[in-house]
Amino acid sequence: MSATLTKPVGLLAQYETPADLLHAALEVRNAGYKKWDVYSPFPIHGMDAAMSIKNSKVGYFTFTGAFIGFFAGMIMIWYMNKFDYPIVIGGKPLFTPLFAFPVSYEMTILLGAFGTLFGMAFLNRLPKLYNPLFNVERFKRATDDKFFVYIEAIDPKYSAESTRALLEKTGASAIEVVED
Amino acid sequence: MNLRPLFSSFAAVLALVGILLMSGAPLLAADAAHGAAPAAAAHGSAAPADAHGHDHDAPTPTLIQSFGYSYLTAFLFCLSLSLGGLIFVIIHHLFDAGWSVPVLRLAEHMACLIRPVSIMLIPLLVLQRYIWPWLTVDPAADHALNVKRVLLNQYSFNILLVGIFLLWNYMAFSFRSYSLAQDKDGAAIWTFKARKMAAWGIYVYGFSITLVIILLMMSLQWQFFSTIYGVYYFAGSLWLTLATLYGITRYLMTRELAPVIFPRQIHDLGTWFFAFTVFYAYIGFSQYFLIWNAALPEETFWYVDRERGSWWEVGMLLLFGHFFIPFLALLRIDAKMSLFVMGPLIAWAWLMHYTDMTFNVMPVLWRTGLHVTLFDLICWLGLSAILAKVFWSDYLKYPKWAQKHPRLQEAITHHDIPADPIGAD
Repeated sequence: MSATLTKPVGLLAQYETPADLLHAALEVRNAGYKKWDVYSPFPIHGMDAAMSIKNSKVGYFTFTGAFIGFFAGMIMIWYMNKFDYPIVIGGKPLFTPLFAFPVSYEMTILLGAFGTLFGMAFLNRLPKLYNPLFNVERFKRATDDKFFVYIEAIDPKYSAESTRALLEKTGASAIEVVED
Repeated sequence: MNLRPLFSSFAAVLALVGILLMSGAPLLAADAAHGAAPAAAAHGSAAPADAHGHDHDAPTPTLIQSFGYSYLTAFLFCLSLSLGGLIFVIIHHLFDAGWSVPVLRLAEHMACLIRPVSIMLIPLLVLQRYIWPWLTVDPAADHALNVKRVLLNQYSFNILLVGIFLLWNYMAFSFRSYSLAQDKDGAAIWTFKARKMAAWGIYVYGFSITLVIILLMMSLQWQFFSTIYGVYYFAGSLWLTLATLYGITRYLMTRELAPVIFPRQIHDLGTWFFAFTVFYAYIGFSQYFLIWNAALPEETFWYVDRERGSWWEVGMLLLFGHFFIPFLALLRIDAKMSLFVMGPLIAWAWLMHYTDMTFNVMPVLWRTGLHVTLFDLICWLGLSAILAKVFWSDYLKYPKWAQKHPRLQEAITHHDIPADPIGAD
């Protein structure tokens, strides 16, 4: 990756406190931007509301996984105990949902967890091995003691001047063009 | 410490013991005149082990038995509300919770319903020989009763019930008096006192609720044993209490409690209600599953009785109505805030918990299937109306929320409500 970085892909603004970041997020949200994000070393209460982030859709993946898991467990036990290799044990029926329940329940949890994990990765577009933000030296401190707002150039409202003006107005301590 | 409630509970119990002593003799005489009590005959005290499945020709219950069982069902329902309130308060203090401070006073009032419930216990103790069949069975002739006679004898039965109800009165009224004292001076000592009581109270609560439920509910069929039975009752009780508390809070949040109740409290109560929907089902399933797998006759007969005739349908109603319907209805994060979902569900929870109590109590008397009498309706509505009246007069009498609780400010200022639901803007 020795090629020169020439194409600007967005603006990165740095803030010194969580409160500054929260207020900046409100401003950016109110200005009508869509393709933007904030970065902080730790979760900030109220940030979801400030960014107008809706509840995650990952629950649907969890439910789908859990639903499939439950019935896969039931069908598996029915197939093995009643159909493929029937053995009478303790005078009990060959199949009833009752004894199949604990295993089906475990399958519900397992596939529900898979649905959550992979659904989350899918919704977050992970794994992602490269991000232009890695080119910015100061961004490393997002995991330490600094707070950032990043607005992407593909946002319909983005313009090099007015976006920079907006970020300056929010009290950013530094603003940098991110290049790719 | 305000000792007045304690004294009045004590007076109530004294009156209770007096009535017991006076009524004991004629009841005994009446039983002797009729030979064995009919309920005992229904069970076949001579051959309990094999009588369970074969006594369809059980005699028709007498009017007094019919009333006694209806009353017991309604009583257990009312006891649920009181014990649910008590454990709510205990848990609040144990976890030093912040979010529940605005509804704490309501829970304290619910816990203090133990006083009217203790008075409601008196008719049960008077009618005990008509309700609990084993009281009229000779332990020498019945193996199951003989081995359980340490607990299942008239003295243990009465002394334990009276003692435990006294203890519950003491705990409930102490918690409320601490809280009311703090309203006046705002001293932290009241919180510490309540926390100390909650620390030992949680153990006392666990043991006492199990003992009382064994005596009141499980011993109706004294051959049966299930170690999870007390937890089962507890799970249903707190479930009902949370639904009730949710309804009351929701109603008052737009009225007197508006300054302290925020969506967070509503959402947390709804989430807890959801959690106990699952917990109840987990306990209920565990009990059935273990008994089904082990297939021991002295345990399975209890469920065999409850699969006979229309009791099967009642069991199915519980399975779907007590678990699946509320579970699926509450699964979405925003359902807990929606009055459209929660409103009907609260009424449904009342009906389902009453059905649950019926399913546990009534098959002993009506062996061929569900049998609803006018007594059921009168007892259920009558006793719960008394509780509603007492709760409401307590609510009006005292400050509406814990005025100077150290965590009140935290409960008011921290508004972590869930994000907007998907689709809503």
